[in-house]
Amino acid sequence: MSFEYHEPTSIADAVALGARFGEAGRFLAGGTDLIIQMRRGRVAPRHVLSLHRVTGLDRIEVDGAVRLGALVTHRAIEQCPHFQGPLGALVEGAEVIGGHQIRNVATVGGNIVNASPAADVVPVLLALNATVTCLGPDGERTLPLGGFLSGPGQTARRPGELLTSIRFDRLPPRSATAFLKAGRRKAMEIAVVCVAVRLTLDAARERCQEARIALGAVAPTTMRAGAAERALEGQPLTDEILRRAGRLAAGECAPIDDVRASARYRRLLVETLVPRALRRCLDRIGRAA
Amino acid sequence: MSRLALSLRINGVTHDVLTEPHRTLLDVLRDDLGLTGTKENCLEAECGVCTILLDGRAVNSCILLAAQCQGREIVTIEGLARAGVFVPLQQAFVDHGAVQCGYCIPGMILAAQAYLDECPEPTDDGIREALAGNLCRCTGYQKITDAVTAAARGLARARTTQ
Ligand SMILES: Cc1cc2nc3c(=O)[nH]c(=O)nc-3n(C[C@H](O)[C@H](O)[C@H](O)COP(=O)(O)OP(=O)(O)OC[C@H]3O[C@@H](n4cnc5c(N)ncnc54)[C@H](O)[C@@H]3O)c2cc1C
Ligand code: FES
Ligand code: FES
Repeated sequence: MSFEYHEPTSIADAVALGARFGEAGRFLAGGTDLIIQMRRGRVAPRHVLSLHRVTGLDRIEVDGAVRLGALVTHRAIEQCPHFQGPLGALVEGAEVIGGHQIRNVATVGGNIVNASPAADVVPVLLALNATVTCLGPDGERTLPLGGFLSGPGQTARRPGELLTSIRFDRLPPRSATAFLKAGRRKAMEIAVVCVAVRLTLDAARERCQEARIALGAVAPTTMRAGAAERALEGQPLTDEILRRAGRLAAGECAPIDDVRASARYRRLLVETLVPRALRRCLDRIGRAA
Repeated sequence: MSRLALSLRINGVTHDVLTEPHRTLLDVLRDDLGLTGTKENCLEAECGVCTILLDGRAVNSCILLAAQCQGREIVTIEGLARAGVFVPLQQAFVDHGAVQCGYCIPGMILAAQAYLDECPEPTDDGIREALAGNLCRCTGYQKITDAVTAAARGLARARTTQ
């Protein structure tokens, strides 16, 4: 590793340095992906722009909507009182990332920009219809998270652009979320498959009003299972309907064989975890009533 | 190559070091300052032997650039005991036979200390979870969790009798 080190102290500074170095620069947040990739020689930026002195990017703001600064750590998400209720899947996703040492420094912005298809907080944000806001030399732009993720390790971020925040709406009444991760052991493990679900019931609490299903580690990017979502909407949520959603999700994902699992096993996991996560949402909505 | 003049606050003492941007806090601790209590192993944030406290939080010093530590409070295993007297957690590790080869222990103790500071009444599962980022190839972990539990109880008792 050989590079010049910079320490911007404001968002404006960081954006100016980002613009100056473009492709040759990299922002450093928790470093839990970047430093390891640099040491492995996978990336070799000539300029490293550490963000730890930039103020105002580590806030969680909750009013009508929820805004997460890009530097919010997984530990901060775990401990945020606003995420104990219907938004609980955020905590479930954040608390399974690495160990305490990782979660104390690793950020939600890094999880998104690193764009691993197996990232754990990303599917939760996708199920919440989150948007991401980037700030660069050409100004600010906001994109849907789904459109931002373009491939393994790839995003629509332009060279030098700083991811500043992530935003999503709070959930309507009769809603819940759930996140499930399958790995080879309980902690310190990259997902073999992860599933995030958001469910809202109709006013009579009988049918599904809206469902969002996001899948991790089964496609080049974290993906939405659109066919499974459509099969739920407007339907009574019987076991058969939930199982059907699982089968549809397993059909529409595109997993690969790798050292962690075979593609076939990943599809079986999706088929099982999708209905399980939906059932968990139903339980949670029931309990909150 | 560019050099950085850093002023690092480690265990309450300020150290001035001249180093290169790519060097980690772990490199500086061990190679420049001779603070070899912090161990080095995987260099990929997997094993936890390099754990230190940065502003009170447990972090892996193998993926932390020394430059990022300027102006922040660093505690290594050398800084835990006061005037040669173990803190209760260290004593509990000794009393419970939680140390075998010892290689993982500095990181284990600092991770456990940070956890107890944050959560003074831990559960067994909580302790195991808090130490998930610290691997030990000798002890089988049971005596380590026993030691942390005992230290937590002892500290709770000390708080109520105060
Ligand atoms: C031992 C270990 C276990 C792990 N376990 C998990 C796990 O279980 N689940 C999981 O999802 N991940 C896991 N990870 C991966 C990693 O911790 C997460 O992806 C984390 O959220 C990355 O955040 P960071 O702040 O460390 O990012 P960094 O490493 O600092 O940055 C990652 C990338 O994002 C860019 N970047 C960061 N912030 C910004 C910004 N604001 N604007 C523009 N670009 C930015 C960087 O330039 C870099 O390319 C693990 C990592 C380790 C080392
Ligand atoms: S050497 Fe840092 S975690 Fe293994
Ligand atoms: S005591 Fe030997 S590695 Fe833990």
